[in-house]
Amino acid sequence: MKKLLIMLVASVFTVQLQAQSLGGGQVTGNFQIDAQLSRQDSAIGAEDVPQKLLSNVFANLLYTNGGFSAGVRFESYLDPLLGFNAQYKGAGIANKFMSYQNDMFEITAGNFYDQYGSGLIFRSYEDRNLGLDNAMMGVNVKVRPMDGIIIKSMVGKQRYYWDYGKGLVRGIDGEFSINSLIKRFEESKTRVTLGAGFISKYEEDQTILAGDNYKLNLPLNVGAGSFRMDLAHGNWGLQAEYAIKSQDPNVLNNYIYKGGNALFVSASYSQKGLGINLQAKRIDNMGFKSERSATGEMLYINYIPAMSKQHTYALMALYPAITQVNGEMGVQADVTYSIKKGTLLGGKYGTGIKMNFSQIMSIDKQPLEGYTTIGETGTDGYTSNFFKVGDELYYQDFNIEISKKLSKAAKLAVTYAYIAFNPIMENEHGDIHYNNVFVADYTHKLNSKNVLRGELQWLKSNIAYFDEDKRSGDWLMALVEWNFTSAFFLSVSDQYNYNGSEEHYYNVSVGYTHNTTRLQVGYGKQRKGLLCIGGVCREVPASNGLTISLTSSF
Amino acid sequence: MKKLLVSAFVFIMSMGMINAQETKSLPVLPDNISVKNLDGKTIQTSEFGNDGKPYILSFWATWCKPCLRELNTIKEVYEEWQEETGVKIIAVSIDDARGASRVKPLVNGSGWEYEVYIDQNQDLKRAMNVVNVPHTFIINGKGEIVWQHTSFVEGSEEELIELVKKVMNGEDISESK
Repeated sequence: MKKLLIMLVASVFTVQLQAQSLGGGQVTGNFQIDAQLSRQDSAIGAEDVPQKLLSNVFANLLYTNGGFSAGVRFESYLDPLLGFNAQYKGAGIANKFMSYQNDMFEITAGNFYDQYGSGLIFRSYEDRNLGLDNAMMGVNVKVRPMDGIIIKSMVGKQRYYWDYGKGLVRGIDGEFSINSLIKRFEESKTRVTLGAGFISKYEEDQTILAGDNYKLNLPLNVGAGSFRMDLAHGNWGLQAEYAIKSQDPNVLNNYIYKGGNALFVSASYSQKGLGINLQAKRIDNMGFKSERSATGEMLYINYIPAMSKQHTYALMALYPAITQVNGEMGVQADVTYSIKKGTLLGGKYGTGIKMNFSQIMSIDKQPLEGYTTIGETGTDGYTSNFFKVGDELYYQDFNIEISKKLSKAAKLAVTYAYIAFNPIMENEHGDIHYNNVFVADYTHKLNSKNVLRGELQWLKSNIAYFDEDKRSGDWLMALVEWNFTSAFFLSVSDQYNYNGSEEHYYNVSVGYTHNTTRLQVGYGKQRKGLLCIGGVCREVPASNGLTISLTSSF
Repeated sequence: MKKLLVSAFVFIMSMGMINAQETKSLPVLPDNISVKNLDGKTIQTSEFGNDGKPYILSFWATWCKPCLRELNTIKEVYEEWQEETGVKIIAVSIDDARGASRVKPLVNGSGWEYEVYIDQNQDLKRAMNVVNVPHTFIINGKGEIVWQHTSFVEGSEEELIELVKKVMNGEDISESK
């Protein structure tokens, strides 16, 4: 480790020296420091913190000079903030890469992030604020032999906290723009892009015992392939991707030998003032990790997004949809409409309407012949009719948002959502929660420098009891935020869980932003989730006490 | 070990600072990153530009309320801005597969006349050191980043266009708020 570090520092140093003699290059970077002085609080899962102070720090340093770039990321979790896996504990260089590219090709050695298509078979991704990072460590090559063709190939292992997963991941992907390739279609209004990818994972054998104590004959290589297309014709658009996966007995699917498949289709129409998007997906046994016995959120090779709108208001985001990699079918419809100004409903400034509906169901699963249960270890698991919808509701969400500028100074947005949430998505048993959520979001510009914003949120649930994670019951939330230009803000909020845990989540935050440097200090209780205050959105961990956050980029 | 790490890190950081100060040149927009336009076509960032005039580059996401407020607020004055200054807005969505297919309907449905790209793998976001959204840049005619800011509050659009005007007049705004 020490040696590695010295080598790294030395290499960055030499690269810089050389770069200067080559005529410049540039160094840029960013960092974020989050520190918490925590108090014990079982309500938000904040255990007693003997260290008193917890902190997460990351800093990226990026050097570029023409087609060459290199970067390192330092990370420290001493100790990790609440909600972050304890295996993050430690500090060091977590990420390093060198990359060179010209018009024809690009090669990256070290850590890299990439995805094939929408990620159904491969996506390496990071979200520092969520503690998610499945960066590849290896080599990634992209070739553009001619305009309209991109071929990618890679090999590597995936990051696992401060280590790498055992599985070796290899992949190749090609994307072809028909309009660029065929002269005749160059100016065509119809744009067609086709793509295909293949991923193979190798992992050494291990002993997994099935019921009668016989050892499973595990496939050492698991393959997954996908085809995709993207059609655009003027106002119309159609995207589809289909993926299949070979036998992959793993802990997620209870070590069954059934293959997996996934289909994602999205169609859209839009013109000025109106946008419509319809989506459908079907997932069957597509949990794909580089270690067959790994649980948790790390080591995923692929990414299957949840088919629902990502809510940002705290109470609307209280029960988020969670992708069921073992099987789900979903549909989503999304409409954005702007009513013109000067009309009856549009008023003086126009009105914006957003509507969204999503429903996620189980897939049909029938026991194999001669079996009474589904998904027995060591078998093919189950059979499934591709077109038949399962009878269990996982998630349903209808929401509508109307936003209106009331005067030169005032804006109001009201949102209503009906959200049905099945706890089975979090592997919990219990009744489905049916929630009605109302939000009013009001902004008032007092003058050119002072802006006041207020949020009122109300969640009415059908379930009123005290549960472990203190989420059941009804909620009321109020937030007031004062902004002095974009430089300073003060926000005060409280979330109250009545007919439930009876807990208050009060919070006071102040923030100062100068260009790209932002300091935010908060005091109070905070549930984890996406927080949008003071004009910025970011994921925040659960906290209770004092939190300090400093972010900067240069 | 920890000390060594920290000192090594500080050293690297300070090298970076010194380097940046010595050359005193402005950082430039990375020109070799691929993003997609709303028709699914891959575009290189070297194609970003505004005929030698400055432009505004804004990172946003469909799930980011302040971002939507920023782009909706500017929508109302965009025509005026363009007539007065010729400025252009390039809005880069960092939505992943979950939101990416909603980007085009949202853009058109909201009546935005911006040049919009999707940075689904977040390559450009990483290359430009964007940590949180919204994050807004002013890029001058030479492709240099002359100003950047994170966060949006109603009223900051007025500061933004004032800065663009200064850039057009050749003023140095790197120290402006």
